[in-house]
Amino acid sequence: MPIVKFILSRTWIWSWVAAAGAFMMVMALTQGRGASELAYAALSFGAFAAIVGLGQMLVITLGPGNVDLSIPATMTLAGTLALKTMGSDPNTAILGFTVAIGVGILAGMMNFALIYLLRLPPIIATLAASLIFQSIAIWSNRGLRIKPPEGLADFATGRTFGLPNVALVGLGLSILVWIVLERTVFGRWLLAAGQNLRAARLAGIPVEFVRATTYITVAVFASIAGFFLSSFSGGAALNMGQEYLLTSIAVVVIGGTSIAGGMSNVPGVWGASLFMFLVVSMLNSYGLGAGVRMMLTGTIIIGIVIAASTRRTRA
Amino acid sequence: MKSLLLSAAAIAMATTAVHADTSGKRIALSNNYAGNSWRQAMLHSWEDVAETAVAAGTVAAADAFTTSENQATEQAAQIQNMILQGYDAIVVNAASPTALNGAVKEACDAGLVVVSFDGIVTEPCAWRIAVDFQEMGRLQVEYLAGRIPDGGKLLEIRGLAGVFVDDEISAGIHKGIEEFPQFEIAGAVHGDWAQDVAQKAVAGLLPSLPDVVGVVTQGGDGYGAAQAFKAAGRDTPLIVLGNRQDEMAWWSEQHADNGYETMSLSIAPGVASLSFWVAQQILDGAEVPKDLSVPFLKVTQDTLDTTLEGTPEGSVATIDYSLDDAKGVIAGAM
Repeated sequence: MPIVKFILSRTWIWSWVAAAGAFMMVMALTQGRGASELAYAALSFGAFAAIVGLGQMLVITLGPGNVDLSIPATMTLAGTLALKTMGSDPNTAILGFTVAIGVGILAGMMNFALIYLLRLPPIIATLAASLIFQSIAIWSNRGLRIKPPEGLADFATGRTFGLPNVALVGLGLSILVWIVLERTVFGRWLLAAGQNLRAARLAGIPVEFVRATTYITVAVFASIAGFFLSSFSGGAALNMGQEYLLTSIAVVVIGGTSIAGGMSNVPGVWGASLFMFLVVSMLNSYGLGAGVRMMLTGTIIIGIVIAASTRRTRA
Repeated sequence: MKSLLLSAAAIAMATTAVHADTSGKRIALSNNYAGNSWRQAMLHSWEDVAETAVAAGTVAAADAFTTSENQATEQAAQIQNMILQGYDAIVVNAASPTALNGAVKEACDAGLVVVSFDGIVTEPCAWRIAVDFQEMGRLQVEYLAGRIPDGGKLLEIRGLAGVFVDDEISAGIHKGIEEFPQFEIAGAVHGDWAQDVAQKAVAGLLPSLPDVVGVVTQGGDGYGAAQAFKAAGRDTPLIVLGNRQDEMAWWSEQHADNGYETMSLSIAPGVASLSFWVAQQILDGAEVPKDLSVPFLKVTQDTLDTTLEGTPEGSVATIDYSLDDAKGVIAGAM
């Protein structure tokens, strides 16, 4: 029984159970038909949610009040500027990626500057910054969709060893985040700052450096997601990041990361990202109306969060 | 002959009167959202017509204002500001058909002319340039019935849940299904009028979706649906498109490859320029019925190439309406 106990004490297990449940529900309807198709789609689209979710997770880990609401605007800006720079020309993928990363770094620095220099609460600072990012995106290209270079589009929609390339990118980033959190001093600093900022500062941890790095990381992750999403869907659109605002927060919470900060959970973000895609897929497959669908999604999310947090207190 | 001369003189006077009467008037555009290619094309169309009209001295000013958060409360405050700034007319694309009624009433009471279009308001004192969204949905099914007489299963891509336009188009589609019962909606997803959202939603539904012969859409979602079908390795059904340049470019490619044919329809973003001229006509003292309607912009295989040529890359097919077009629409509603 120790194995069962070990598994049940992992808060991330609940998001995976929910994802598997939603998957089985669709399969029950199709009698097993299209299983690999659905799994593939879930991995492709879940990857985008997972990438922005990982960034949001790091920020939320910083402790109460820390959240990045500029993720959608950063995604849009990075996608728009990168695709405009590449202008559909072949062999410009590296250049476009560099532009996207650059946008992420600048956006993150801007967010942190507002938080640190003006002492604004992160919610206000990132929301204000997102209006600026969105406006730059509108101003720079007026919402025209420029096609990604063919090679890049093929990569974004393609697969390697049967797995979607975007999922592999997401997996790589997840491993990186996991190593940083679990095996490096920086990870310890981040967790310590999230558990008690004052104690961490008194212990000699450079908390402002940790905060700055985290806010830049989340923006870079959002930029990477925006870059690949616009390459994946045939161009950047001004409203392309919109749904990732709530999704990024939801996958963190469902994944078992503590909303109070100081505790992260990388596998949970993936389970939750797959679940967020599969639950919509499941409710659509059963032909439920939009109202019922949203109500059920909300109810299921609350259920998972309760299940995950009850486990935590007992453990 | 004499009467002809007289009427010619009357027309000449009337035309000069147009300039004389509204040259000092100021018109404002109150817009609730700018975050997609359709709205950007709409603002562009407004800027074009406003610039020419101001340069020609037809009106003194025609400024465009967009709220940042797509909130009715924010737009109501914006309209109140416009009243204080002394505009003579407000052209509004409203965030809600009812939530702005209070502000619109205040504007009317202050003597302003209010013309709503696309997102119309129900306040009786305002003019409405409406689109028959139901007909837009019904027409799609009618077209499919012409192309696939035997009928079959359809996939419906809806817009943003809870928005008036989404309900209207969908109601029209269901009306079309009643009219042509050989069709049946096998599944429906919400694509939020965005290619990437539609692509994601369709990809999630496809594994459990039986073979469909057609896809009915709301605009801005056809290309995403096509991508999802392609990624799943399924045959591309007949997808009704929504005039976006990337959709039409894809259609043109498919046509060259395998003779794919479809239809595309949407409201031209240039409806903003039509609304400008209607407001100008009202200020000019013309008698204009409160309810006007704009035709859709429909693209068929015959008009595809010319439309595609005239549409900037990544934008939406549009037409700029002239003063004469506005007079025609007004006359048509009398």
